Amino acid sequence: MTDTTAPAVQLTDITKRFGDVVANDSVDLTLDRGSIHAVVGENGAGKTTLMNVLYGLYEPNEGTIAVDGEPRSFDSPRDAIAAGIGMIHQHFQLVDNMTVLQNVVLGHEPSSRGLVDEQAARRRITEICDTYGFSVDEHLDTPIEELGLGIQQHVEIVKSLYRGADTLILDEPTAVLTPQEVEGLFDVMEALTADGRSLIFITHKLDEAMHAADDITVLRDGSAVGTVDAAETSQNELARMMVGREVLFDVDSAEGTPGEVALTVDGVTVRDERGLEQARDVSLSVREGEILGIAGVEGNGQQELIEAITGMRTPERGTVSLQGRDITELSRRRRIEDGISYVPGDRLEEGLVQDYTLVRNALLSNQTMDAFSDGLFLDWQRIGDHADEIIDEYDVRPRNPEATAKSLSGGNQQKFIVGRELERDPSVLVAAHPTRGVDIGSIEFIHQRFQDMREAGVAILLVSSKLDEVQKLSDRTAVMYEGSVVDTVDPDDVTEEELGLLMAGRARDGTERAASGVEGDA
Amino acid sequence: MSTARTLVDDRRTLVGVLGALVAVIALLLFVDLPGSDLVTVGALERALQAATPIALAAIGGLYAEKSGVFNIGLEGFMIFGALVGAAVAWLLAGGDGITQAHLWAAFVAVALVSGVLATLFAVLLIRYEANQIVAGLAVWFIGLGFGPFAATVLWGGVSSPSLPNIDAVSVPVLAEIPVLGRLFFDASPLVLLTIVVAVAAWVVLFRTRYGYWVQAAGENPEALDTAGVDVNRVRYATVIFSGVMAGLGGAVLSIGIGSGFTGTGVTMVDGRGWIAIVAYLFGNYNPLGTYGASLLFGAMDMLQIQLQTIGISLPGSITGLFPYVAVLVVLVGVGYTRVPSAVGESYDTEE
Amino acid sequence: MSDAATGVRSLADRIADHMLDASVLERVVIALVATALALLIGAVIVAASGYDAVEFVSSLVYGAVGNASNLAFMLRQSSMLILTGVAVAVAFRAGVFNIGVQGQFVVGGFAATLGILFAAPLLPNSSISAVPLMALAALLALAAGGAYGALPGMMKVYAGANEVITTIMLNFIASGVVYFLLDAYLRPEGAAAPNTEQFPDYVGLPGLVFESPSFSILGLGVALLTVAVVYLVMDRTGFGYDLVTSGYQEPAAKYSGVDPKRMIVRTMTISGMIAGLAGALFAIMILGYYSDPNTFPTFGFDAIAVSLLAANNPLGVIPAGLLFGGLDAGGQYIGFTLDVPSELVDGVIGLIVLFVAAPELFRAAGRYTSLGGDRE
Repeated sequence: MTDTTAPAVQLTDITKRFGDVVANDSVDLTLDRGSIHAVVGENGAGKTTLMNVLYGLYEPNEGTIAVDGEPRSFDSPRDAIAAGIGMIHQHFQLVDNMTVLQNVVLGHEPSSRGLVDEQAARRRITEICDTYGFSVDEHLDTPIEELGLGIQQHVEIVKSLYRGADTLILDEPTAVLTPQEVEGLFDVMEALTADGRSLIFITHKLDEAMHAADDITVLRDGSAVGTVDAAETSQNELARMMVGREVLFDVDSAEGTPGEVALTVDGVTVRDERGLEQARDVSLSVREGEILGIAGVEGNGQQELIEAITGMRTPERGTVSLQGRDITELSRRRRIEDGISYVPGDRLEEGLVQDYTLVRNALLSNQTMDAFSDGLFLDWQRIGDHADEIIDEYDVRPRNPEATAKSLSGGNQQKFIVGRELERDPSVLVAAHPTRGVDIGSIEFIHQRFQDMREAGVAILLVSSKLDEVQKLSDRTAVMYEGSVVDTVDPDDVTEEELGLLMAGRARDGTERAASGVEGDA
Repeated sequence: MSTARTLVDDRRTLVGVLGALVAVIALLLFVDLPGSDLVTVGALERALQAATPIALAAIGGLYAEKSGVFNIGLEGFMIFGALVGAAVAWLLAGGDGITQAHLWAAFVAVALVSGVLATLFAVLLIRYEANQIVAGLAVWFIGLGFGPFAATVLWGGVSSPSLPNIDAVSVPVLAEIPVLGRLFFDASPLVLLTIVVAVAAWVVLFRTRYGYWVQAAGENPEALDTAGVDVNRVRYATVIFSGVMAGLGGAVLSIGIGSGFTGTGVTMVDGRGWIAIVAYLFGNYNPLGTYGASLLFGAMDMLQIQLQTIGISLPGSITGLFPYVAVLVVLVGVGYTRVPSAVGESYDTEE
Repeated sequence: MSDAATGVRSLADRIADHMLDASVLERVVIALVATALALLIGAVIVAASGYDAVEFVSSLVYGAVGNASNLAFMLRQSSMLILTGVAVAVAFRAGVFNIGVQGQFVVGGFAATLGILFAAPLLPNSSISAVPLMALAALLALAAGGAYGALPGMMKVYAGANEVITTIMLNFIASGVVYFLLDAYLRPEGAAAPNTEQFPDYVGLPGLVFESPSFSILGLGVALLTVAVVYLVMDRTGFGYDLVTSGYQEPAAKYSGVDPKRMIVRTMTISGMIAGLAGALFAIMILGYYSDPNTFPTFGFDAIAVSLLAANNPLGVIPAGLLFGGLDAGGQYIGFTLDVPSELVDGVIGLIVLFVAAPELFRAAGRYTSLGGDRE
């Protein structure tokens, strides 16, 4: 018998170490039955690690897990699922080319006479949908890949419920959603708790946590700083708890002195591999000695736009110009040679060859630079010296140019890439999420380098999903939403809240952007 | 129906494959060949026979790839199947006087031996994460070497003596149906069995939980794992199944329809294992479409005989190339088939 | 001159560097263990089939290096395997599975043959013509092999056709079509076999060291020179860096300015050119005429094993090619003398490939026996 008065989940003293790194440091968390418990914290604060421990993906070094008052230990997600815990990952665990129905029942198929009993499955799913107000049952025969991310997320939730989950972990569920879908998700979450189910809601958006949750636990550097009642706290209090005493991100006061226009994007429309229009009729320009920040929820066309600028992707329409010269038709290599450096968002796949040493990686994107060859042959001596320089100046550790890229931590990999791209003396620098997954010390360092480059007259286009980063570095901030630039603002004139509203497709004062016709573009 | 989509897919595949068949026939008529002589019941009969080994191997390969393992060794398993079939039948009968019972027993032996070999192969691929393309090629090389070697040990030459094959079975009443009766009910039972296998493979893949698991294992193994199904067990099952099916396909060549094992050159399998891979790609991973594609390639294989009977004599070296050219045309013309996204990646539960 | 000297010195340095590299050492160990294990299985099979396993192994060795003529035969096979092996290695290194080296080899040899047969009557019938004639043949072989390699490359790039299957089909087609052309147009009147007429006497490579009609040390030289060029290009040029990076991690190559589609076609073309050159060498040095390709040795397939055993490293192709040349020569020798079917060696080669494909197997075995344990 389970104790119905016990908390749905109780984590006590959870510690999880990876080598020397402590990802969770004796964290306590109590999830009351029928409640929503938000876990907030900056990237790298240990939120996801904690949830992976609860979901059986990691075994904690210390601490206990109790479900419904009973101590449990999970060897795998299967154990967690059996204990009534479901997890909705940021990357959905759905089979793209199978139908909604097949995905929901996968592994738990009702069968009769050897065949899957579709009617029984249909009845059961419809029942779940009716109870919580999902519309998933309208798409039962549609393959997942034909549905939007919002509906896919509902399918994930229905799947967990179908498997009998009592406790649901939602890992950054709003990151991929439009504002309307976020509202829909909150309604669903309310309906679930009304039915007695308990939810853990991971987010780094404070307003969402306050809006949706009953309790909020703040994590910082792997430790639980405290748990507060959502009704009695404020964004300021939460922010202080999240960031701690030291104020890391003081707003940069040094303004650049922009010169001539270096990079112009005019009416550019870009499609992705699937032929979907991701960036739509985007126009912008960056001057020498200026940082133009692009803010936006990820997946709103930023990636496709910068790929069109750097030559990784051919735009369908529009032109890209460098110092007034049309470079739309130029190959990626020619654009590198003409002075466009690119710090890619995907450092594992694109920015570094993981099996190469740092020396060999120092040549990546520098293959045709005269400095590294004596006519016909590459000059490995000089390339090695260059790798040493990058390692020295950008404080890459370990200080071993013969180390393979994959042996470096994320922060050091990123510093190496930034160093390599900056040392080429570019006239334009395009950077995507340059500090993602990077430790705080390296973030400061990379930011400083970007500011130095601006001083030196480089035109910088910075894409980041971190608002504070965009706010700190940019001279102007363009906000992208559903493939379009909806507004360009001066970061000194807007608050993060106002930017957030723009990123959600609304006007700065929170009203619908009726005039811009965002809806009509869809 | 929740499978409305797969039905639409199926229909599109079938239309494509049937369309290709019709197009071939129409082309022959268009160039003013005596089509009625070309497309005879006898020709269809031969095409069905030629399609049988290809279809068996293709259906096996389809399951393996659907579950995320590219079994590129089909050709090698077919060589082993062809050899083992002939060898077992010959050994059981003590040389001469091979009976139907010996032949059927040989088929069972082929299934067992292929199953064992495929299990070893599966362990290398799944447990030891061997490179699937290289290991698959190796199976072919091993077949090309040890097949004729074993034949030499047994028979003193790379080929067996001429052996009998499985008798045609005439089903009373049904055999009387015009055309269809002769094609299916007064023919080698292997032809009909293969069609039954194709239909059964379709039902299992799209209508049973095991089929769901196979599909999920190849497309998003993590989703299947978190649903509590062991991904690697599913993959073991499909790889072993593919080896057995390819082995049986080879046995059909040597003792089902043919007359013994031929080990000269690239052996009697002669690229059919490779063609089988293209057959399931062309069939868009649908067992019925795959059968249709196999029939198309079977017809290509038999075109030489047909052309001869109507008095067009092209050299054998050229007509023998028809199936290979057809494969290239199909691969280039059909364009990109959607390959299951996890193919070639080994799966570890611990992340 | 000094440039070449520094080149050689740095080459030697780099080889030494590589040899100390743990992963290279591991590969060498795996290659040796895989070969030993495959030979062991081969010996067991030989014994189980009623032959003398010890005699099998000793004859294998004698057949390879037992006397000067055996050694010449082995080096002849090795030259072919090194050349075709490096053709495979170029493609595999770039992540393209060119299984069509056999077909490109057949087409290249045929083009060389056509060049010799049609150009010889236009040149003086003396040894003066030998060099231009063979140069012409080599050029034609390079062009034909390259084109026949580029074809599946383009099929892959523009139609998404899997190159493993297209190249295998093109192997069948190459042999069939060449046989047909040979049989129909090039067979001298009244000849029984589908062979072309003999090349002029002066076409051929001088034996020099070995007194073998079908092997010249120059042939081995061509193979080694090709290896050296490929190694230099791969290791010391920007293009080589692009090619190898494409094989390791295509998105990173694309990021660094490589056009992945063009790289695939170029790789296949280069691979095919080297295979074509091997065809020319085969026609000129070994045959002295051209014949039904279906009867040719399958150098193009064994080359896959050679390249894999060498971990697709062009320098590694040399020892791997020597080893397989030895296996091949030894296998043929036991076929004549012991009556053990020479196909056995093909099977052993297949086993080697199978084992090399699964390095994890040996790592697991190493851990189990704690042989490789100290590296952790």
